[in-house]
Amino acid sequence: MRGLFLACLLIGAVAMSLGVGVRPVAPGVFLEALLGYDPRDPAHVTIAAIRLPRTVAGLAAGAALGIAGTVMQSLTRNPLADPGILGINAGAAFALILGVTLFGRSDQAAVALFAFPGAALAALAVFALGGGFRGDSGPVRLTLAGAALNALLLSLVTAVVLVRQESLDVLRFWVAGSLTDAAFRPVVEMTLVIGLAAVLAFAIAPLIEALSLGSDLARGLGTRPLRAQAGALTVVTLATGAAVAIAGPIAFLGLMAPHLARMSTGYALRPRLAVSAAYGALTLTLADTVGRLVLSSGEVRAGIVVAMIGGPVFIWVARRLRPGAMA
Amino acid sequence: MKGYVPLSLLIFLATSAALLTGQVDASPGVLWSGLVTGEGPGALILDTIRGPRVATALGAGAVLGMSGALFQMLFRNPLASPDILGFNAGAGLAIIAGIAFGIAMPTAVMAALGGVAMALVIGGLAFRGGGGTPVLTIILIGIGAGFTATAVSTFLMTILPGTTASEAQRWLTGSLAARDWSHAAQVLGIGAMLASLALGQARILSALELGDGLAAGLGQRPEAARWWLSATGVLLAATGVAVAGPVPFVALMAGPLGMRLTGALTSAGRMVSGAGAGALVLVLSDLLARVAVPGLQLPAGVATGLLGAPYLLWRLSREMERGDL
Repeated sequence: MRGLFLACLLIGAVAMSLGVGVRPVAPGVFLEALLGYDPRDPAHVTIAAIRLPRTVAGLAAGAALGIAGTVMQSLTRNPLADPGILGINAGAAFALILGVTLFGRSDQAAVALFAFPGAALAALAVFALGGGFRGDSGPVRLTLAGAALNALLLSLVTAVVLVRQESLDVLRFWVAGSLTDAAFRPVVEMTLVIGLAAVLAFAIAPLIEALSLGSDLARGLGTRPLRAQAGALTVVTLATGAAVAIAGPIAFLGLMAPHLARMSTGYALRPRLAVSAAYGALTLTLADTVGRLVLSSGEVRAGIVVAMIGGPVFIWVARRLRPGAMA
Repeated sequence: MKGYVPLSLLIFLATSAALLTGQVDASPGVLWSGLVTGEGPGALILDTIRGPRVATALGAGAVLGMSGALFQMLFRNPLASPDILGFNAGAGLAIIAGIAFGIAMPTAVMAALGGVAMALVIGGLAFRGGGGTPVLTIILIGIGAGFTATAVSTFLMTILPGTTASEAQRWLTGSLAARDWSHAAQVLGIGAMLASLALGQARILSALELGDGLAAGLGQRPEAARWWLSATGVLLAATGVAVAGPVPFVALMAGPLGMRLTGALTSAGRMVSGAGAGALVLVLSDLLARVAVPGLQLPAGVATGLLGAPYLLWRLSREMERGDL
């Protein structure tokens, strides 16, 4: 029943995302474009060349961040874990901008490959620094390790952008992501990567569940903790790297989606992954649509809309933490 | 007093280096003759180009550093500083809001209002009836509030026209470019007033460090004293933010660095050494940001970010080993 409700919400969000914008498109025109695409009709071109990539990018990146957030929160047993807060987005973004600097922006898909080592290194670093391998990463420690990593990488990104004399818009994109230029990003390739990450996440879900009982108990259950951790970090790397490559660094989505999901699914990881992915896709698509509507001229980037909701959510979760669970 | 000699010497050296180095390097002789005669290229550098900028950096670093030392003592936690707790982000948001909505108020006033409002919000959110809130919860709430304020600042920047927005962006990163003597006078004047206010409360702060019960036994009212101290610390930080932007990590690093350099143990001593260390860190960071890439001035906040992040990570691993975190 709830699944149906969520599916309806998603369909509604997709319809709005396709229809709303500087040039509004009536729902009937979708069907026309779907059934008989006419390249001479400007409305059809708007849908196919601009709106559709943007909507797909929003759905894919949102789902990816929902999955990454859920995996990270389970793995670290930290309800505040999120690829943005922990600096993994920033790692991917810095590697991407480094790739653009070294190789130019001619081949988007090739440059996007840089996002993955960036995300992987950042994930390993924050996990190690936050005490993740010892299995005792408290929220404060992990969050502050992420804040430090974020600050470091953001300083580097700012420096590179300023050295390249890029416009303010470019810097803004790297600070809080956006779906505006989705049509020029490798959406199809990255969506495939996200699909791969989702499959892997589903496959290793039992391992992560065992690990979240604590590494001793997991070992007793026959799970090798290192293997589960490696698998989880691979999922996080693939999902976050791909999301950053198509939408830039979007923070807090990976924080919010799992909490929304938990309200309706309980604690089993597989359903939580699926519902989180759906909520992530829904939230990012809606945030992007809202961002297009609020200003009379121009638009607010989706990353900012998400962050303005996400900051208060962070505080809400932090306040509900039990004092004993802090360190 | 002997302990303060190395710190003072370092500040002097950093200041001299900052005045001598730049797009056009000046020799000490040129600078000296400019200082004595008030003419020539040395005077130009001292009067208009680097002088006000370095003075502003010294002042802003000092107030941020003192604020950091104050909060670290107040919360008895080396991670509790106004930048981590989100007060700086609040002050920054207020200034951006002032620009965006055309509020004709001095930046210092806007920053102070923003910082105090932020502190009240965090205090209100952290407040729990009955027993005190754990410091770590306050830190987390502060981090979240800082995230929110930064997000709203970025949002406000999208609705600003292009040129104002790029200025605001530079400012939000934390920058000391194009400061004149009015900035220096503002931060040094207000800073001196607030610093004496903070030092006047040093005894109460020492009493609080012994624990609330003991402080009450010594005749202090812990709750009221804590509010006054917090207000002073927030205003100190806001004074720095008003002229230098929300530069990250200066306040976080200054307290422990100052203590290490001077060996100060008293509350007043730690505040003073925090101020000195903050000035040192910001002057050096600004110098680093100016000369790192030839022909390009990076904002000082980029350098403090690059210096402060490894420090924060080191501090975390130390707290972890001690089992405090």
